[in-house]
Amino acid sequence: MAPTLTLLLYSSLAAGATILGALPLVRRERIPTRWIGGANALAAGLMLGAAYALSKAGRHGQPAELAFGAVLGVLFIFWTHRVSDTENLDLNRLSESDPVYGYQVLLVNALHAASEGVAIGVAMAVSTPFGLFMAVSIGVHNIPEGTILCAVLRSRGMRLGEAAGLAVAANVGQVLLALVTHGLVVAAPAMLPAAGGFAIGSLIYLVLVELLPESYRQAGATTIAVVTTVAMGALVLLSEVAK
Amino acid sequence: MSWSHPAVLVFVYGAITAVATGLGALPFLFVRSLSARTIAYANAVAAGLMLGASFGLAAEGSDYGGWQTFVGVLLGVAFILATRRFLDRHEVEVGDVRGADARRVLLIVAVMTVHSFAEGVAIGSSFAGGMTLAALITVAIAVHNIPEGVAISAVMRPRGASLLSCAGWSIFSSLPQPLMAVPAYLFVDAFRPALPYGIGFAAGAMVFMVLAELLPEAFGKGPRPIVGLLVSLSLIAMLLFQAFL
Repeated sequence: MAPTLTLLLYSSLAAGATILGALPLVRRERIPTRWIGGANALAAGLMLGAAYALSKAGRHGQPAELAFGAVLGVLFIFWTHRVSDTENLDLNRLSESDPVYGYQVLLVNALHAASEGVAIGVAMAVSTPFGLFMAVSIGVHNIPEGTILCAVLRSRGMRLGEAAGLAVAANVGQVLLALVTHGLVVAAPAMLPAAGGFAIGSLIYLVLVELLPESYRQAGATTIAVVTTVAMGALVLLSEVAK
Repeated sequence: MSWSHPAVLVFVYGAITAVATGLGALPFLFVRSLSARTIAYANAVAAGLMLGASFGLAAEGSDYGGWQTFVGVLLGVAFILATRRFLDRHEVEVGDVRGADARRVLLIVAVMTVHSFAEGVAIGSSFAGGMTLAALITVAIAVHNIPEGVAISAVMRPRGASLLSCAGWSIFSSLPQPLMAVPAYLFVDAFRPALPYGIGFAAGAMVFMVLAELLPEAFGKGPRPIVGLLVSLSLIAMLLFQAFL
Protein backbone atom coordinates (compact mmCIF):
# COMPACT_ATOMS: atom_id res chain seq x y z
CA MET A 1 0.00 0.00 0.00
CA ALA A 2 1.20 3.53 -0.76
CA PRO A 3 2.42 5.32 2.38
CA THR A 4 -0.27 8.00 2.03
CA LEU A 5 -3.05 5.39 1.93
CA THR A 6 -1.52 3.52 4.86
CA LEU A 7 -1.41 6.79 6.78
CA LEU A 8 -5.02 7.56 5.85
CA LEU A 9 -6.06 4.15 7.18
CA TYR A 10 -4.01 4.37 10.40
CA SER A 11 -5.01 7.93 11.28
CA SER A 12 -8.69 7.27 10.46
CA LEU A 13 -8.66 4.23 12.76
CA ALA A 14 -7.01 6.35 15.47
CA ALA A 15 -9.65 9.07 15.15
CA GLY A 16 -12.40 6.46 14.93
CA ALA A 17 -11.20 4.86 18.19
CA THR A 18 -12.69 7.91 19.93
CA ILE A 19 -16.10 6.24 19.60
CA LEU A 20 -15.00 3.52 22.04
CA GLY A 21 -14.85 6.27 24.65
CA ALA A 22 -18.66 6.43 24.58
CA LEU A 23 -18.97 2.84 25.88
CA PRO A 24 -18.74 3.64 29.62
CA LEU A 25 -21.72 5.97 29.15
CA VAL A 26 -24.00 3.33 27.62
CA ARG A 27 -25.16 1.99 30.96
CA ARG A 28 -24.89 5.11 33.06
CA GLU A 29 -26.06 8.67 32.67
CA ARG A 30 -23.09 10.25 34.46
CA ILE A 31 -19.64 9.00 35.26
CA PRO A 32 -17.88 9.68 38.57
CA THR A 33 -15.50 12.66 38.72
CA ARG A 34 -12.64 10.37 39.77
CA TRP A 35 -13.01 8.42 36.51
CA ILE A 36 -12.75 11.64 34.54
CA GLY A 37 -9.56 12.48 36.44
CA GLY A 38 -8.16 9.02 35.71
CA ALA A 39 -9.10 9.31 32.02
CA ASN A 40 -7.32 12.69 31.83
CA ALA A 41 -4.22 11.22 33.51
CA LEU A 42 -4.17 8.22 31.14
CA ALA A 43 -4.43 10.51 28.12
CA ALA A 44 -1.70 12.78 29.56
CA GLY A 45 0.72 9.88 30.13
CA LEU A 46 0.23 8.56 26.58
CA MET A 47 0.79 12.05 25.11
CA LEU A 48 3.99 12.52 27.16
CA GLY A 49 5.15 9.09 25.96
CA ALA A 50 4.40 10.07 22.36
CA ALA A 51 6.40 13.30 22.80
CA TYR A 52 9.25 11.26 24.29
CA ALA A 53 9.23 8.81 21.36
CA LEU A 54 9.38 11.69 18.87
CA SER A 55 12.27 13.29 20.77
CA LYS A 56 14.15 9.98 20.81
CA ALA A 57 13.59 9.52 17.08
CA GLY A 58 15.04 12.98 16.47
CA ARG A 59 17.89 12.94 18.96
CA HIS A 60 20.65 12.28 16.45
CA GLY A 61 19.27 14.73 13.91
CA GLN A 62 19.29 18.51 14.03
CA PRO A 63 18.70 19.41 17.71
CA ALA A 64 18.56 23.16 17.10
CA GLU A 65 15.85 22.82 14.44
CA LEU A 66 13.95 20.38 16.62
CA ALA A 67 14.06 22.80 19.55
CA PHE A 68 13.02 25.68 17.29
CA GLY A 69 10.00 23.65 16.11
CA ALA A 70 9.18 22.70 19.70
CA VAL A 71 9.16 26.33 20.84
CA LEU A 72 6.89 27.15 17.87
CA GLY A 73 4.54 24.30 18.87
CA VAL A 74 4.32 25.58 22.45
CA LEU A 75 3.73 29.18 21.34
CA PHE A 76 1.17 28.09 18.73
CA ILE A 77 -1.08 26.42 21.32
CA PHE A 78 -0.48 29.23 23.82
CA TRP A 79 -1.55 31.72 21.17
CA THR A 80 -4.64 29.79 19.99
CA HIS A 81 -5.83 29.49 23.59
CA ARG A 82 -5.28 33.20 24.08
CA VAL A 83 -7.12 34.41 20.97
CA SER A 84 -10.01 32.00 21.52
CA ASP A 85 -10.19 33.12 25.15
CA THR A 86 -9.91 29.53 26.41
CA GLU A 87 -6.71 29.92 28.44
CA ASN A 88 -8.28 28.90 31.74
CA LEU A 89 -11.17 26.85 30.36
CA ASP A 90 -12.17 23.83 32.44
CA LEU A 91 -12.85 21.25 29.71
CA ASN A 92 -14.64 18.84 32.04
CA ARG A 93 -17.58 20.88 33.34
CA LEU A 94 -20.64 18.67 33.69
CA SER A 95 -24.13 20.28 33.83
CA GLU A 96 -22.92 23.51 32.25
CA SER A 97 -25.56 24.57 29.72
CA ASP A 98 -24.10 27.87 28.44
CA PRO A 99 -24.06 27.62 24.61
CA VAL A 100 -20.69 29.41 24.42
CA TYR A 101 -19.15 26.72 26.61
CA GLY A 102 -20.27 24.03 24.15
CA TYR A 103 -18.55 25.75 21.24
CA GLN A 104 -15.39 26.43 23.25
CA VAL A 105 -15.06 22.79 24.35
CA LEU A 106 -15.45 21.52 20.78
CA LEU A 107 -13.02 24.13 19.43
CA VAL A 108 -10.34 23.30 22.00
CA ASN A 109 -10.79 19.56 21.42
CA ALA A 110 -10.49 20.04 17.64
CA LEU A 111 -7.26 22.07 18.03
CA HIS A 112 -5.91 19.48 20.44
CA ALA A 113 -6.62 16.70 17.90
CA ALA A 114 -4.98 18.69 15.09
CA SER A 115 -1.62 18.80 16.94
CA GLU A 116 -1.81 15.06 17.44
CA GLY A 117 -2.34 14.68 13.70
CA VAL A 118 0.99 16.43 13.14
CA ALA A 119 2.60 13.85 15.47
CA ILE A 120 1.18 10.93 13.45
CA GLY A 121 2.21 12.52 10.13
CA VAL A 122 5.78 13.15 11.30
CA ALA A 123 6.11 9.63 12.74
CA MET A 124 4.93 8.12 9.44
CA ALA A 125 7.57 10.15 7.60
CA VAL A 126 10.25 8.70 9.92
CA SER A 127 9.21 5.09 9.19
CA THR A 128 6.04 3.08 8.66
CA PRO A 129 6.41 1.07 11.92
CA PHE A 130 6.95 4.30 13.86
CA GLY A 131 3.85 5.77 12.17
CA LEU A 132 1.84 2.73 13.25
CA PHE A 133 3.19 3.05 16.79
CA MET A 134 2.17 6.72 16.91
CA ALA A 135 -1.28 6.04 15.44
CA VAL A 136 -1.88 3.31 18.04
CA SER A 137 -0.67 5.59 20.86
CA ILE A 138 -2.83 8.52 19.79
CA GLY A 139 -5.76 6.20 19.01
CA VAL A 140 -5.66 4.60 22.48
CA HIS A 141 -5.33 8.04 24.04
CA ASN A 142 -8.41 9.19 22.06
CA ILE A 143 -10.55 6.68 23.98
CA PRO A 144 -10.36 8.29 27.47
CA GLU A 145 -10.59 11.73 25.83
CA GLY A 146 -13.71 10.55 23.99
CA THR A 147 -15.22 9.40 27.28
CA ILE A 148 -14.71 12.84 28.82
CA LEU A 149 -16.07 14.73 25.82
CA CYS A 150 -19.10 12.43 25.62
CA ALA A 151 -19.72 12.90 29.36
CA VAL A 152 -19.62 16.69 28.95
CA LEU A 153 -21.90 16.66 25.87
CA ARG A 154 -24.26 14.16 27.49
CA SER A 155 -24.61 16.36 30.58
CA ARG A 156 -25.73 19.14 28.23
CA GLY A 157 -28.70 16.96 27.23
CA MET A 158 -27.30 15.48 24.02
CA ARG A 159 -28.19 11.91 23.09
CA LEU A 160 -25.32 9.41 23.40
CA GLY A 161 -25.24 8.65 19.66
CA GLU A 162 -24.94 12.33 18.79
CA ALA A 163 -22.32 12.92 21.50
CA ALA A 164 -20.22 10.00 20.22
CA GLY A 165 -20.55 11.26 16.64
CA LEU A 166 -19.48 14.76 17.61
CA ALA A 167 -16.52 13.39 19.60
CA VAL A 168 -15.31 11.52 16.50
CA ALA A 169 -15.97 14.59 14.32
CA ALA A 170 -13.81 16.72 16.65
CA ASN A 171 -10.93 14.33 15.87
CA VAL A 172 -11.34 14.32 12.07
CA GLY A 173 -8.80 17.15 11.94
CA GLN A 174 -6.28 14.59 13.18
CA VAL A 175 -6.55 12.67 9.88
CA LEU A 176 -6.31 15.84 7.81
CA LEU A 177 -3.28 17.22 9.68
CA ALA A 178 -1.57 13.81 9.59
CA LEU A 179 -1.91 13.69 5.79
CA VAL A 180 -0.90 17.33 5.25
CA THR A 181 2.12 17.07 7.57
CA HIS A 182 3.24 13.82 6.02
CA GLY A 183 2.88 15.26 2.50
CA LEU A 184 4.86 18.39 3.36
CA VAL A 185 7.64 16.53 5.16
CA VAL A 186 8.02 13.96 2.39
CA ALA A 187 8.16 16.74 -0.20
CA ALA A 188 10.64 18.77 1.85
CA PRO A 189 12.57 16.37 4.13
CA ALA A 190 14.56 19.30 5.55
CA MET A 191 11.40 20.24 7.49
CA LEU A 192 11.28 16.92 9.37
CA PRO A 193 13.19 17.97 12.54
CA ALA A 194 11.21 21.20 12.93
CA ALA A 195 7.90 19.42 12.28
CA GLY A 196 8.79 16.75 14.85
CA GLY A 197 9.72 19.49 17.29
CA PHE A 198 6.40 21.23 16.65
CA ALA A 199 4.53 18.02 17.58
CA ILE A 200 6.68 17.53 20.71
CA GLY A 201 6.18 21.10 21.93
CA SER A 202 2.44 21.19 21.33
CA LEU A 203 1.83 17.75 22.89
CA ILE A 204 3.70 18.73 26.05
CA TYR A 205 2.04 22.11 26.38
CA LEU A 206 -1.43 20.56 25.84
CA VAL A 207 -0.80 18.01 28.59
CA LEU A 208 0.27 20.75 30.97
CA VAL A 209 -2.53 23.25 30.47
CA GLU A 210 -5.50 21.15 29.32
CA LEU A 211 -5.19 17.81 31.07
CA LEU A 212 -3.22 17.97 34.32
CA PRO A 213 -4.65 20.99 36.22
CA GLU A 214 -8.24 19.69 36.06
CA SER A 215 -7.31 16.09 36.75
CA TYR A 216 -5.51 17.05 39.98
CA ARG A 217 -8.77 18.41 41.34
CA GLN A 218 -10.77 15.43 40.11
CA ALA A 219 -8.73 12.56 41.49
CA GLY A 220 -5.89 13.95 43.65
CA ALA A 221 -2.24 14.43 42.74
CA THR A 222 -0.95 11.01 43.83
CA THR A 223 -3.46 8.98 41.79
CA ILE A 224 -2.86 11.21 38.77
CA ALA A 225 0.93 10.90 39.11
CA VAL A 226 0.78 7.07 39.33
CA VAL A 227 -1.53 6.71 36.30
CA THR A 228 0.38 9.25 34.17
CA THR A 229 3.87 7.90 34.98
CA VAL A 230 2.90 4.27 34.38
CA ALA A 231 1.08 5.13 31.12
CA MET A 232 4.13 7.06 29.94
CA GLY A 233 6.45 4.20 30.96
CA ALA A 234 4.29 1.70 29.09
CA LEU A 235 4.55 3.80 25.94
CA VAL A 236 8.34 4.05 26.31
CA LEU A 237 8.36 0.24 26.42
CA LEU A 238 5.98 -0.04 23.43
CA SER A 239 8.18 2.30 21.40
CA GLU A 240 11.07 -0.19 21.84
CA VAL A 241 8.96 -3.25 21.11
CA ALA A 242 7.58 -1.56 17.96
CA LYS A 243 11.05 -1.45 16.42
CA MET B 1 47.73 1.59 43.41
CA SER B 2 49.18 4.90 42.34
CA TRP B 3 47.61 8.27 41.58
CA SER B 4 47.68 7.50 37.94
CA HIS B 5 45.63 4.35 38.36
CA PRO B 6 42.56 4.69 36.12
CA ALA B 7 40.19 3.99 39.05
CA VAL B 8 41.60 7.02 40.90
CA LEU B 9 41.11 9.13 37.82
CA VAL B 10 37.53 7.92 37.51
CA PHE B 11 36.94 8.96 41.12
CA VAL B 12 38.54 12.38 40.66
CA TYR B 13 36.60 13.03 37.48
CA GLY B 14 33.41 11.89 39.20
CA ALA B 15 34.12 14.25 42.11
CA ILE B 16 34.58 17.17 39.71
CA THR B 17 31.21 16.47 38.13
CA ALA B 18 29.62 16.36 41.60
CA VAL B 19 31.03 19.75 42.58
CA ALA B 20 29.74 21.22 39.31
CA THR B 21 26.19 20.49 40.49
CA GLY B 22 26.71 23.17 43.15
CA LEU B 23 27.04 25.80 40.41
CA GLY B 24 23.32 25.31 39.82
CA ALA B 25 22.66 27.41 42.94
CA LEU B 26 24.27 30.51 41.39
CA PRO B 27 21.25 31.75 39.37
CA PHE B 28 19.40 32.01 42.69
CA LEU B 29 21.87 34.50 44.14
CA PHE B 30 19.30 37.25 43.79
CA VAL B 31 16.12 35.27 44.40
CA ARG B 32 14.98 35.76 47.97
CA SER B 33 11.27 36.41 47.89
CA LEU B 34 8.91 33.78 49.21
CA SER B 35 5.87 34.87 47.19
CA ALA B 36 3.50 32.17 45.98
CA ARG B 37 4.23 33.11 42.37
CA THR B 38 8.00 32.72 42.85
CA ILE B 39 7.42 29.20 44.17
CA ALA B 40 5.06 28.40 41.28
CA TYR B 41 7.53 29.59 38.64
CA ALA B 42 10.57 27.97 40.28
CA ASN B 43 8.63 24.69 40.56
CA ALA B 44 7.70 24.98 36.89
CA VAL B 45 11.35 25.42 35.82
CA ALA B 46 12.46 22.51 38.04
CA ALA B 47 9.63 20.35 36.63
CA GLY B 48 10.63 21.11 33.03
CA LEU B 49 14.31 20.37 33.66
CA MET B 50 13.48 17.10 35.42
CA LEU B 51 11.04 15.99 32.70
CA GLY B 52 13.66 16.78 30.05
CA ALA B 53 16.26 14.82 32.00
CA SER B 54 13.90 11.86 32.32
CA PHE B 55 13.30 11.87 28.53
CA GLY B 56 17.08 11.52 28.11
CA LEU B 57 17.28 8.80 30.77
CA ALA B 58 14.41 6.83 29.23
CA ALA B 59 16.08 6.99 25.81
CA GLU B 60 19.37 5.76 27.29
CA GLY B 61 17.79 3.05 29.46
CA SER B 62 15.67 1.64 26.66
CA ASP B 63 18.80 1.31 24.51
CA TYR B 64 20.07 -1.16 27.12
CA GLY B 65 16.71 -2.92 27.52
CA GLY B 66 13.06 -1.81 27.29
CA TRP B 67 11.53 -4.22 29.79
CA GLN B 68 14.26 -3.67 32.37
CA THR B 69 13.76 0.09 32.06
CA PHE B 70 10.00 -0.30 32.51
CA VAL B 71 10.48 -2.43 35.64
CA GLY B 72 12.87 0.27 36.89
CA VAL B 73 10.20 2.94 36.29
CA LEU B 74 7.67 0.98 38.39
CA LEU B 75 10.26 0.58 41.17
CA GLY B 76 10.99 4.33 41.01
CA VAL B 77 7.31 5.16 41.47
CA ALA B 78 7.07 2.70 44.38
CA PHE B 79 10.17 4.25 45.94
CA ILE B 80 8.70 7.76 45.93
CA LEU B 81 5.36 6.52 47.28
CA ALA B 82 7.19 4.81 50.16
CA THR B 83 9.41 7.82 50.84
CA ARG B 84 6.38 10.12 50.95
CA ARG B 85 4.60 7.81 53.35
CA PHE B 86 7.67 7.81 55.58
CA LEU B 87 7.98 11.61 55.47
CA ASP B 88 4.25 12.00 56.25
CA ARG B 89 4.70 10.15 59.50
CA HIS B 90 7.81 12.07 60.60
CA GLU B 91 8.26 15.74 61.31
CA VAL B 92 11.14 16.95 59.12
CA GLU B 93 13.23 20.09 59.02
CA VAL B 94 15.91 21.07 56.49
CA GLY B 95 17.84 24.08 57.76
CA ASP B 96 15.24 26.86 58.10
CA VAL B 97 12.64 25.00 56.07
CA ARG B 98 9.85 23.18 57.92
CA GLY B 99 6.60 21.28 57.42
CA ALA B 100 5.24 20.57 53.93
CA ASP B 101 8.01 22.68 52.37
CA ALA B 102 10.70 20.63 54.12
CA ARG B 103 9.02 17.46 52.87
CA ARG B 104 9.24 18.68 49.29
CA VAL B 105 12.88 19.74 49.71
CA LEU B 106 13.83 16.34 51.14
CA LEU B 107 11.95 14.54 48.39
CA ILE B 108 13.72 16.37 45.58
CA VAL B 109 17.12 15.87 47.21
CA ALA B 110 16.30 12.16 47.66
CA VAL B 111 15.15 11.80 44.04
CA MET B 112 18.19 13.56 42.62
CA THR B 113 20.57 11.63 44.89
CA VAL B 114 19.08 8.29 43.92
CA HIS B 115 19.24 9.23 40.26
CA SER B 116 22.96 10.00 40.71
CA PHE B 117 23.58 6.36 41.61
CA ALA B 118 22.39 5.36 38.15
CA GLU B 119 24.42 8.15 36.57
CA GLY B 120 27.52 7.10 38.49
CA VAL B 121 27.18 3.57 37.12
CA ALA B 122 26.71 5.03 33.64
CA ILE B 123 29.89 7.11 34.03
CA GLY B 124 31.92 4.15 35.31
CA SER B 125 30.78 1.86 32.50
CA SER B 126 31.46 4.45 29.83
CA PHE B 127 34.99 5.00 31.18
CA ALA B 128 35.49 1.26 30.88
CA GLY B 129 35.22 1.74 27.12
CA GLY B 130 38.59 3.50 27.19
CA MET B 131 40.22 6.40 29.01
CA THR B 132 40.94 8.51 25.93
CA LEU B 133 37.54 10.16 26.00
CA ALA B 134 37.55 10.42 29.80
CA ALA B 135 38.14 14.16 30.04
CA LEU B 136 35.48 14.87 27.44
CA ILE B 137 32.91 12.68 29.21
CA THR B 138 33.75 14.42 32.49
CA VAL B 139 33.21 17.90 31.09
CA ALA B 140 29.96 16.78 29.48
CA ILE B 141 28.61 15.28 32.69
CA ALA B 142 29.80 18.20 34.82
CA VAL B 143 27.94 20.66 32.60
CA HIS B 144 24.93 18.34 32.48
CA ASN B 145 24.83 18.33 36.30
CA ILE B 146 24.44 22.11 36.53
CA PRO B 147 20.73 22.15 35.52
CA GLU B 148 20.14 19.41 38.09
CA GLY B 149 21.58 21.78 40.70
CA VAL B 150 19.26 24.46 39.29
CA ALA B 151 16.27 22.13 39.78
CA ILE B 152 17.20 21.44 43.41
CA SER B 153 17.94 25.11 44.16
CA ALA B 154 14.68 26.17 42.47
CA VAL B 155 12.78 24.08 44.99
CA MET B 156 14.92 25.02 48.04
CA ARG B 157 15.67 28.70 47.55
CA PRO B 158 12.12 30.18 47.38
CA ARG B 159 11.30 28.30 50.58
CA GLY B 160 13.95 30.20 52.51
CA ALA B 161 17.07 28.01 52.20
CA SER B 162 20.41 29.85 52.08
CA LEU B 163 22.47 29.91 48.89
CA LEU B 164 25.15 27.87 50.63
CA SER B 165 22.75 25.10 51.61
CA CYS B 166 21.30 25.08 48.06
CA ALA B 167 24.81 24.54 46.69
CA GLY B 168 25.68 22.08 49.47
CA TRP B 169 22.63 19.86 48.93
CA SER B 170 23.11 20.05 45.16
CA ILE B 171 26.66 18.71 45.53
CA PHE B 172 25.46 16.13 48.06
CA SER B 173 22.91 14.85 45.54
CA SER B 174 25.73 14.13 43.06
CA LEU B 175 28.12 12.44 45.50
CA PRO B 176 26.93 8.96 44.48
CA GLN B 177 28.40 9.67 41.03
CA PRO B 178 32.10 9.34 42.01
CA LEU B 179 31.23 6.69 44.59
CA MET B 180 29.39 4.48 42.11
CA ALA B 181 31.62 5.26 39.13
CA VAL B 182 34.66 3.49 40.64
CA PRO B 183 33.10 0.05 41.30
CA ALA B 184 31.17 0.32 38.03
CA TYR B 185 34.46 0.97 36.21
CA LEU B 186 36.32 -1.85 37.97
CA PHE B 187 33.52 -4.43 37.70
CA VAL B 188 31.84 -3.24 34.54
CA ASP B 189 30.57 -6.68 33.55
CA ALA B 190 28.79 -7.09 36.86
CA PHE B 191 27.25 -3.61 36.85
CA ARG B 192 26.17 -3.23 33.26
CA PRO B 193 23.13 -5.57 33.45
CA ALA B 194 21.79 -3.48 36.36
CA LEU B 195 22.09 -0.25 34.38
CA PRO B 196 18.69 -0.19 32.60
CA TYR B 197 16.90 -0.93 35.90
CA GLY B 198 18.77 1.91 37.60
CA ILE B 199 18.17 4.35 34.76
CA GLY B 200 14.46 3.44 34.57
CA PHE B 201 14.22 3.82 38.35
CA ALA B 202 15.71 7.32 38.15
CA ALA B 203 13.42 8.35 35.28
CA GLY B 204 10.29 6.97 36.99
CA ALA B 205 11.14 8.64 40.30
CA MET B 206 11.76 12.00 38.58
CA VAL B 207 8.58 11.97 36.49
CA PHE B 208 6.53 10.89 39.50
CA MET B 209 8.06 13.61 41.70
CA VAL B 210 7.25 16.22 39.02
CA LEU B 211 3.65 15.05 38.63
CA ALA B 212 2.85 14.40 42.28
CA GLU B 213 4.61 17.33 43.97
CA LEU B 214 5.97 20.08 41.72
CA LEU B 215 3.15 20.57 39.19
CA PRO B 216 0.14 20.48 41.55
CA GLU B 217 1.76 23.18 43.67
CA ALA B 218 2.78 25.23 40.62
CA PHE B 219 -0.74 25.12 39.14
CA GLY B 220 -2.21 25.90 42.57
CA LYS B 221 -0.09 29.02 43.03
CA GLY B 222 0.48 30.45 39.55
CA PRO B 223 -1.51 31.24 36.39
CA ARG B 224 -1.96 28.16 34.21
CA PRO B 225 -0.59 29.46 30.86
CA ILE B 226 2.58 30.89 32.44
CA VAL B 227 3.31 27.71 34.39
CA GLY B 228 2.68 25.70 31.20
CA LEU B 229 5.05 27.91 29.21
CA LEU B 230 7.82 27.72 31.81
CA VAL B 231 7.61 23.92 32.11
CA SER B 232 7.54 23.36 28.32
CA LEU B 233 10.32 25.81 27.53
CA SER B 234 12.66 24.51 30.24
CA LEU B 235 11.94 20.95 29.07
CA ILE B 236 12.88 21.94 25.51
CA ALA B 237 16.02 23.71 26.80
CA MET B 238 17.02 20.52 28.63
CA LEU B 239 16.48 18.39 25.50
CA LEU B 240 18.58 20.80 23.46
CA PHE B 241 21.24 20.83 26.14
CA GLN B 242 21.45 17.02 26.23
CA ALA B 243 21.60 16.83 22.44
CA PHE B 244 24.69 19.02 22.35
CA LEU B 245 26.57 17.10 25.07
